[in-house]
Parts: sequence; C-alpha cells; structure tokens
Amino acid sequence: MSSFTKSAQQWATFARSWYLIDARMQPPGKIATMCAIRLQGKHKPIYHAISDIGDHVVVMNTRHIAFSGNKWEQKVYSSHNQYPGGFKQVTATQLHLKDPKAIIKLAVYGMLPRNLHRRTMMQRLHLFPEEDLPEDILQNLTEELPQPREVPRRLDEYTQEERGAFPRLWTPPEDYRMK
Amino acid sequence: MYGHVVSIPKGHNSKMAARCVLGSTWSSLSAVRSRANSSNVSIFQKITSCPRMLFFGSVQSRAIRHVVEKKEGNTTILEGLTEDAHVGPQPPNPTAPCPIYRWNLQNKYNYTDVLLLSQFIRSDGGMLPRRVTGLCAQEHSKIAVCVQMAHRAGLLPDHKPSLPEGHIPKKPNPQLNRYLTRWSIDSVKPIYRAGLKWCKKRISVGHPALKDNVRYGKKILYLKH
Repeated sequence: MSSFTKSAQQWATFARSWYLIDARMQPPGKIATMCAIRLQGKHKPIYHAISDIGDHVVVMNTRHIAFSGNKWEQKVYSSHNQYPGGFKQVTATQLHLKDPKAIIKLAVYGMLPRNLHRRTMMQRLHLFPEEDLPEDILQNLTEELPQPREVPRRLDEYTQEERGAFPRLWTPPEDYRMK
Repeated sequence: MYGHVVSIPKGHNSKMAARCVLGSTWSSLSAVRSRANSSNVSIFQKITSCPRMLFFGSVQSRAIRHVVEKKEGNTTILEGLTEDAHVGPQPPNPTAPCPIYRWNLQNKYNYTDVLLLSQFIRSDGGMLPRRVTGLCAQEHSKIAVCVQMAHRAGLLPDHKPSLPEGHIPKKPNPQLNRYLTRWSIDSVKPIYRAGLKWCKKRISVGHPALKDNVRYGKKILYLKH
C-alpha cells in the first residue's frame, strides 16, 4: 500500500505468519493440502523455491479427523526398518489409535517437495490431537483458516421448529401401526 | 347456541377452520353436559337433545378420532374428539405415485438430508416397507443407501436398535468419524498390496446409486479414491 513506509511494507511482506486449522470432522487429505501450500509459501505472490518464505501451520483436533469411505479399514500404512522381516503394515485405525497425529503428519510429508527444505517445513508444522494449545503458540497465531468440508448436522441438532417446517412427504395409512 | 354455523373469514387455512369448528363443538357439548348434570338426565337423552352441528365447508384431511370417557358421579359421559391432522403445504406434482416425484426431489437429496431420511425409517433405524411408504423401487433403494450412510456417519443417533438388557460389549469399538461409507465396517479387509498406478486397488467412496445427483459446480463425483 502506498501509505506504508518502506520498512513497514518489507516487514508485512516477509513476516512469517502462523495459521490455525481445526481438523474436527475433516478429511485429513484436504487438511494436508492446505498445510502443504502454506508451508511452502505458495499462497504468496512472492513465492520462490529458494527463498524460505513458508509460514507456520498449527493443526488442532487431529484425533477427530474423518475419513470418507471405508478408509479407516482399507487404507494401509507401510514401513520397513531395513532389517530382514522388518516390513510392517498397519491399517489407518491402528495407526490412529497408536498416534493420533501420525496420519496428518504422513499426509503432509508426502505432499511437500522432495528436497532438503522438506524437513524444515515439517518442523514448522505443529500438530495437536485435542483443542488445548500451549500458551506460546496461542499468542503467535494470526489467522484461522476455514474448514474444507461442510460438517453435516445430526438429526438431534435440528430444532423442533425446523423439523415441523419440513413437510411430510407421505401420510401413513390409518390402520398401520408406526414403528 | 347449538347448531350455529361458524363463519370462517377468508385467509384462514383449513387447519384453523377445523379448530374453530371443533372449538364450537366442544363448547356446545360442555354446555349440554352442564345443563344435563343438574337434572340427572341419562346419556341417551343428552346425545339426542344436542342437535347436529352444521360444518362449514369440508375438512380436507381425514383425522384420527378418539373416544374419551369421563365419569362424574352417576353419569358417564362419552365424547368423541377429533384430532385435527396437520394439513401442511401441498406437493408441486400431486399426481405421481412416488412421494419423491411428488415433491420433485428426484436427484436432489444426499446422506446429509436427515430430515428427509428420518421420515422413512423406524425408531430402531430400519427402513419402512415400500408398500407402506409408496416409494418406487429405485428411490426406495436410493433412500436405503442414504440411510445406511447416514447411520455410519453418526447422523441418526436416536434411531439405534435397543440392546438386550445386561449386554456388555466384549471390546468397545474405537469411535472414529467417517462419512460416505459404502461398505459395512466389519466386512471390509485392508488393502495390503495396493498395486501400481495403472492397476491400483482403489477405495470406494459414496454409492453409485447416487451418481445422477445434481452437482452445482464443476467438480465431478469421484466414487473411487
């Protein structure tokens, strides 16, 4: 903006921001793409791969992520510790119960570019399984990002007026005993 | 006092009309009761003394009738009360056999439309039979699929089947959030060898019965992830 001093403009352009994402009832893949874009700095017009302009991203409620389909049972995370017989395959359920942050961590790791910057970008990603964040991180947060998926409402979250306003599609016959 | 016609001004809907008429019936009956009680007249004379009510217009819907019996000393009073059925908005396409086609909701509902789905399920979560609801075969199966997905997503928490008393689950299932689950949780095996890109074993999401749903936006529906 023309009204800022040069030093103020420089600060605003190159400062590292802290973003917050709530992963409750969200698919971990979509959360991971949002994180990866901001960790690389691709959301900024001054992006370049060499200049280290990625931001910090804090993801909370990673324990409450929601997979679509039957991925909790079907998706398999494999690892090999390079010893013979060291090939381990673990379903998403088992991995999530063992470590609630692992699924999002692995997803973001796979979406970042495969170079030496990846490790530094992963250090700037902060994952928390629940909503309680430490004080110093809370003070650093600048912006909360909107959730990628619209969470549907349960039946008991609808008020009585809304349920009454919805029309009855069919009338039961008089001699039918309902339910 | 008796036999007066209730004139309903224009602009009132038939529900209010029914209530006005019934209100007059009730008040007249109570008047009869109070008059008869003082003279200890039998029930038969009370009913015959009350002349017929003239109903204004015709009530559109058939209502559920209750018979209420009351005892006051020597006299027993039997009264028939009509519960006026709710006359809601009319469907835009009334001459259609299936309720979904009557309301033009053919390809417009999803597993999240719980208010719609809850009209076709029992209290323990099962679907009502087609001969009762009047749904056509395709829509019945689509609604069944949506209800299944809604149950697995946890959107219908009050429609769970009642467990027998004293039932303790052997190992508590982990409470994991999910949505658009096609297959039942226990029936699915992990994909240990997924394969290369050209022959990958994909994970199915959603259901092909809902393939024709209206999509607002350019994104296409991915059923295989």
